[in-house]
Amino acid sequence: MDVLEKLEVLGAAAKYDVSCASSGSKREKHFGIGSTFSAGICHSWTDDGRCISLLKILFTNECIFDCAYCINRKSNDIKRATFTPQEVAELTINFYKRNYIEGLFLSSAIKNSPDWTMEMLYKTIWLLRYKYQFNGYIHVKAIPYASLDLIRKTGFLADRMSVNIELPSEKSLRLLCPNKTKESILKPMEFITKVAEEEKNFVSAGQSTQMIIGATDDSDYKIINLSQHLYKKFKLKRVYYSAYTPVNHDPRILKVESPPLLREHRLYQADWLIRVYNFSADELFNGKDENLDLEVDPKVMWALRNLDKFPIEINKASYEELIRVPGIGIKSARRIIKNRVFHSLDFEDLKKMGVVLKRAKYFITCNGKTFERFLIDLEPEKIKQKLTDKNSLQRPQQLSFFDREVFTSVITGEI
Amino acid sequence: MYKIFLYDGTFEGFMCAAFHIISEGIDKDRAIIVSKNEYQPMFIDSVREVQNDFKTFLEMRKGIIEKADSSVFKKIYYAFLSDTKDKEGYILRYLFFVFEHGKKIKYLYSDDIVNAVEKMAKNVSREIGKYMGLMRFCETDKGFLYAKFEPKNDIIKPIAYFFKNRLNEFYWAIHDVKRNKVAIYDRKKVQFLTCDNLKLKVTHQDEMFQMLWKNYFKAVAIEERKNLKLQQQNMPKRYWKYLLEKN
Ligand code: SF4
Repeated sequence: MDVLEKLEVLGAAAKYDVSCASSGSKREKHFGIGSTFSAGICHSWTDDGRCISLLKILFTNECIFDCAYCINRKSNDIKRATFTPQEVAELTINFYKRNYIEGLFLSSAIKNSPDWTMEMLYKTIWLLRYKYQFNGYIHVKAIPYASLDLIRKTGFLADRMSVNIELPSEKSLRLLCPNKTKESILKPMEFITKVAEEEKNFVSAGQSTQMIIGATDDSDYKIINLSQHLYKKFKLKRVYYSAYTPVNHDPRILKVESPPLLREHRLYQADWLIRVYNFSADELFNGKDENLDLEVDPKVMWALRNLDKFPIEINKASYEELIRVPGIGIKSARRIIKNRVFHSLDFEDLKKMGVVLKRAKYFITCNGKTFERFLIDLEPEKIKQKLTDKNSLQRPQQLSFFDREVFTSVITGEI
Repeated sequence: MYKIFLYDGTFEGFMCAAFHIISEGIDKDRAIIVSKNEYQPMFIDSVREVQNDFKTFLEMRKGIIEKADSSVFKKIYYAFLSDTKDKEGYILRYLFFVFEHGKKIKYLYSDDIVNAVEKMAKNVSREIGKYMGLMRFCETDKGFLYAKFEPKNDIIKPIAYFFKNRLNEFYWAIHDVKRNKVAIYDRKKVQFLTCDNLKLKVTHQDEMFQMLWKNYFKAVAIEERKNLKLQQQNMPKRYWKYLLEKN
């Protein structure tokens, strides 16, 4: 099989891995080819609108395991391919110097054994770093059950490492991944966190993970609670959520017609709220088995449940209070704090600072006044109706909810 | 009667003209800065040609950074690269503001001039950001990498310095086809030249990598998520002309 065909097979096989980030590296550069850019750069956008930043491929799609949701599982009859380290290194360098990509994202199925696979990943990026003097961004997977020593060696060459957590609960993992255990995933994750704390230049852009959404009956509460735990305990940089695309027909998997994109989107929003806006999972949900509301974003939902905390006065509220108002993001909250020193702010000023009044107006006053008369006495249900993202509900699995405003909010976290 | 200040079209030259206007206390509403090759003489104007003097430029730069900060200076530079008509007029007024208000200028969102300059700078910076990713180099028979583009704004300089850092081990040229400008890098420094006719051939090996890239691009799209509208929002059509995967 030639490289062209391999690239097609192993590029397509990696496409469900959602994490595209190429930002945040602080690895020191001495000499050689290329650079990392701390803000991350997109080099193209696929037909589904996702950013291509890294050459994202599997080293091999031959697998000895048989996870129910995975296209590469052993029991599937599909075209199989395996790169050599040399091939991957040359592709990376040649794509990089033509500015097609920002770096490499190397993942893999498990061929022969976990250690064999990890060894191949290590060899590949060793070649890139030492033979080709490549300084660009490298994200590599740590393989469950691989020896910690190999993972350690690899981590010193990579900018980022990730172990996929795959599913939000042990029960689901047992159901869908008979070959993997909770320990086989958490052990390498914990190990990477530990080494990163002790050593310089070890996965300097941090660790991330990915979870599949919608293949099991796990609730959003469970998912966000787990993420919160991962951020706290393992100091993860990001948790990525991947709406499950039904590639296999397996009775153990929940029936999904098409990937639950809207739910994925709400989870990203909730994730921002716990990661950047200081919310806790418990605050965002009513009960343990709850799912996020698809009609409105989770910040609006929280505010409606806590109407007694509102309205807040823009010219007095603290930063912490401001960022909890729907329609006020981190940036506009900062602007408000800086500007109200000069003069007291009115609704016109807020608009110019990027506050989305459409949402915020129900929750704030400026110098004691509301945006329109009687606005604040509305019932939560009425406000919710007004703020319902109608487009997204009519065609829930369609493209419309990915409109510009919503989509940039995913990237910037302004909600 | 207007006082016309002619400059050589460069950022440094422009700053020298602004320096004269500000330091000589000339009324900003009577002063106009125009690039030499765009000026159409009108006999009632008083015209003065300003020399591009690097020391004067540095003094202006120092003044701006001391009064405000380096982010404001960068904003001015980016705004200058904009293709907005009469950018000189906006920036000149903005400069008066900088010397009047200092750092506070960053928070004068409601002022029209400040707003216009912010917008110009943002537009330029966004275009630079896009091209950092969307520029495509090919390998030529002359042994260097070559990329062409047609940016809306005159951004070849910041783009070239970005690639000087990134592709530091290679020989390369970047060509602004619209303005006939080329940036050439010889693994030591970047030079900027004008040129309109480059005869280059792409190597056979390069054609292979182009094909690999195009195939990869197709292979990674998820059919169930197809969203061409979103793709176009992120990557507007005007960037497609030299984009391999879109041709
Ligand atoms: S181990 Fe990975 S590649 Fe193999 S079947 Fe499971 S998820 Fe798929």
